[in-house]
Amino acid sequence: MSKSLKLFAAIGLLLASTSLAQAQDADAGAKVFKKCKACHAVGDGARNRVGPHLNSVFGRKAASIEGFKYSKAMSVAGSGGLVWNDETLAAFLTKPRKMMKGTKMAFSGLKKEKDRANLLAFLKSFSPDAASAAAPEKPKKQEIAAAPAPTEPKAKPVAAKDAPIPEHGVFHLGRAALVEEVKAWDIDIRPDGQGLPTGRGTVSQGEPIYTENCAVCHGDFGEGTGRWPILAGGQNTLTDERPEKTIGSYWPYLSTVYDYIRRAMPFGDARSLSDDDVYAVTAYLLFLNDIVTDEEFELSNENFNNTRLPNEANFFADNRKEEPQNTARSEPCMTDCKPGKAEVTMRARVLDVTPDSKEGEGAGAIE
Amino acid sequence: MPEKQIDRPGTDKGLSRRKLLTAGVAAGGALATGAVSAKAASTPDPLITEIQDWNRYLGDGVDANPYGMPSEFEKNVVRRDVAWLTADSKSSINFTPLHELDGIITPNGLCFERHHGGVAEINPVDHRLMINGLVDKPLVFTMEDLKRFPRENRVYFLECAANSGMEWRGAQLNGCQFTHGMVHNVMYTGIPLKHILNEAGVKASAKWLLPEGADASAMTRSLPIEKAMDDCLVAFKMNGEALRPEQGYPVRLVVPGWEGNMWIKWLRRIELGDAPWHQREETSKYTDLMANGKARRFTWEMDVKSVITNPSPQAPITHGKGQTVVTGVAWSGAGKIKRVDVSIDGGRNWKTARIDGPSLSKSIHRFYYDFEWDGSELFLQSRAIDEVGNVQPTKNELRAARGVNSIYHNNGIQTWHVKADGSAENVEIS
Repeated sequence: MSKSLKLFAAIGLLLASTSLAQAQDADAGAKVFKKCKACHAVGDGARNRVGPHLNSVFGRKAASIEGFKYSKAMSVAGSGGLVWNDETLAAFLTKPRKMMKGTKMAFSGLKKEKDRANLLAFLKSFSPDAASAAAPEKPKKQEIAAAPAPTEPKAKPVAAKDAPIPEHGVFHLGRAALVEEVKAWDIDIRPDGQGLPTGRGTVSQGEPIYTENCAVCHGDFGEGTGRWPILAGGQNTLTDERPEKTIGSYWPYLSTVYDYIRRAMPFGDARSLSDDDVYAVTAYLLFLNDIVTDEEFELSNENFNNTRLPNEANFFADNRKEEPQNTARSEPCMTDCKPGKAEVTMRARVLDVTPDSKEGEGAGAIE
Repeated sequence: MPEKQIDRPGTDKGLSRRKLLTAGVAAGGALATGAVSAKAASTPDPLITEIQDWNRYLGDGVDANPYGMPSEFEKNVVRRDVAWLTADSKSSINFTPLHELDGIITPNGLCFERHHGGVAEINPVDHRLMINGLVDKPLVFTMEDLKRFPRENRVYFLECAANSGMEWRGAQLNGCQFTHGMVHNVMYTGIPLKHILNEAGVKASAKWLLPEGADASAMTRSLPIEKAMDDCLVAFKMNGEALRPEQGYPVRLVVPGWEGNMWIKWLRRIELGDAPWHQREETSKYTDLMANGKARRFTWEMDVKSVITNPSPQAPITHGKGQTVVTGVAWSGAGKIKRVDVSIDGGRNWKTARIDGPSLSKSIHRFYYDFEWDGSELFLQSRAIDEVGNVQPTKNELRAARGVNSIYHNNGIQTWHVKADGSAENVEIS
């Protein structure tokens, strides 16, 4: 059986378990699409980003947008005849790597059938050819456009006259935060380990989690793809012309790694990793930075503070006021301050870097 | 009124002002547009002698635009980004078009944007602000609760610490929008942060705050309690109307004079603690790498700074020699601007500019230098001095002290080279 045939057999199996009877709601799908937005664009002027643009994806042959660098697996599927429609998209979105081993799409999948149905309804609204493909409901876009002028919302007075005024503070405003509420939001971690959740994970457990969730942007070895941050390497480059500021070469505290992954990563799907997953990924990042070398090294809340990052000692407090240009407090010169006529020593390097250029000197300066 | 005359679309409606300027600059001169300045006329101007459409036919009635927008002739006055700076638009930046503005206030739709996880869309009814940590009583506020506190109105600049960060190694971007446009100046309506903290009761051991955003980056920064109790605001209006979504709707932190990253948008939680948290944006980022490989941290205050906005590379002189307005903006995180000097010969000689408009602490100031241009090349510079006596340094002084890899806090003096044809370029000079 050829590769593509095998793939279709796999899709067939998945399709059997993928019902499309769900009612579809494009507006709800727009919300689901937020999970995709980090990599995919759709709508007017949508361009390829980390992933291909999704305009007219319905009816499109897989891997058919020119100029986008697809995975080998996706290209093979496309030339084998895979076309995106309700069934194939639903199957792919359920668990991308299950349907297509080797896809570049790092997203782990939409587990809820309703989310998938809504997302497809949303995407369909950007696929003009999809009308024939059994669209149960046109998106509500036109309705919104044709909606009557907004009427003034009426403020609803709440009959709270009888509610007792709290006693705390000066203005007696706000209410007590419940323990569960504080616990839900208070996830920050300090360098001394305060805030670490109970849990553990090893380097070898971290590797597949990293590969699935992180490598698409940060590279298989933390080397970074495109202009995404480099996470590993760069030791002893901080005085170089082009320093590489990584976890191993620059970051002062390991707690920051755990805290940041847990609060904000994976980009576009924050808070989706378990506490143990985050320990494992953090352990794996230590491994990629050669700070631990044993693949069975386990990081946990118990041993977290035993690991220090190499660059911790190289940060110092703001002392700008002591710099020479700030300590000289004489009146600034007003006349004949410099000898000779001004000569140009440097120009804006390439005039065209300015608004629309693709490459530039400071690439990746801001992340 | 040269500005007005340039804006007029003239007979060729398809040719925008932006295109005109770009075309003019590209052709090595802006002379093409210079012709619109009033000169001695030999033939009557048809715009005066003929009746114009707008003088004859009725225009739109009220409510044509329930939320009013700028004239169609201003459609090029927009924020712009520099795509190669960042990996992705969800964690990126764009720039305020400083060269198109005047006065001291930045219109809401033109305030530069900086997000780390895209713009959070939050219904204010669903928004909560929690105070927890070293307080007597952890509290939760709704937006309605917040609007019952006594409020204040204050005008403050917000500058990204990375503003001008691309210029450390030398002149790179051609336009003050790109070199200096990570700044805006807005009147905020908000609640003094201390009122909200006192409501929860701050414990004596609390020395630091950790404000946190509700966006997909859950942005956090450590903030010392002295600053929180001094002049920070929890703001829900900008320039009189609700915060724009991209500026933190429904509520953001205002940290006057300090780097923009600390002004947490979509503010949902403030924790109090006895030590800083060393979050990602105060370790990996927003620390200033020196030439010796060591890095400064907690460089909060924005230094005294100024830039000439007109003329500048995106806004060349189009009227030829004669009476000319040089204008720009100045600000300091330490307080008011006391004085701005302007040089037209690359810092050999300086003249004190005229500051016009309100002079407010930690706010942008507008300055003007009106002079008669003889048509020869200019090396324009501005140098701001604040009320504490801080003097804006040269870029080379900064490089001597810090090297070229610190990215942040570049407040060096900017030079524009204005050529005889009126076009301007970002340069560095001897």
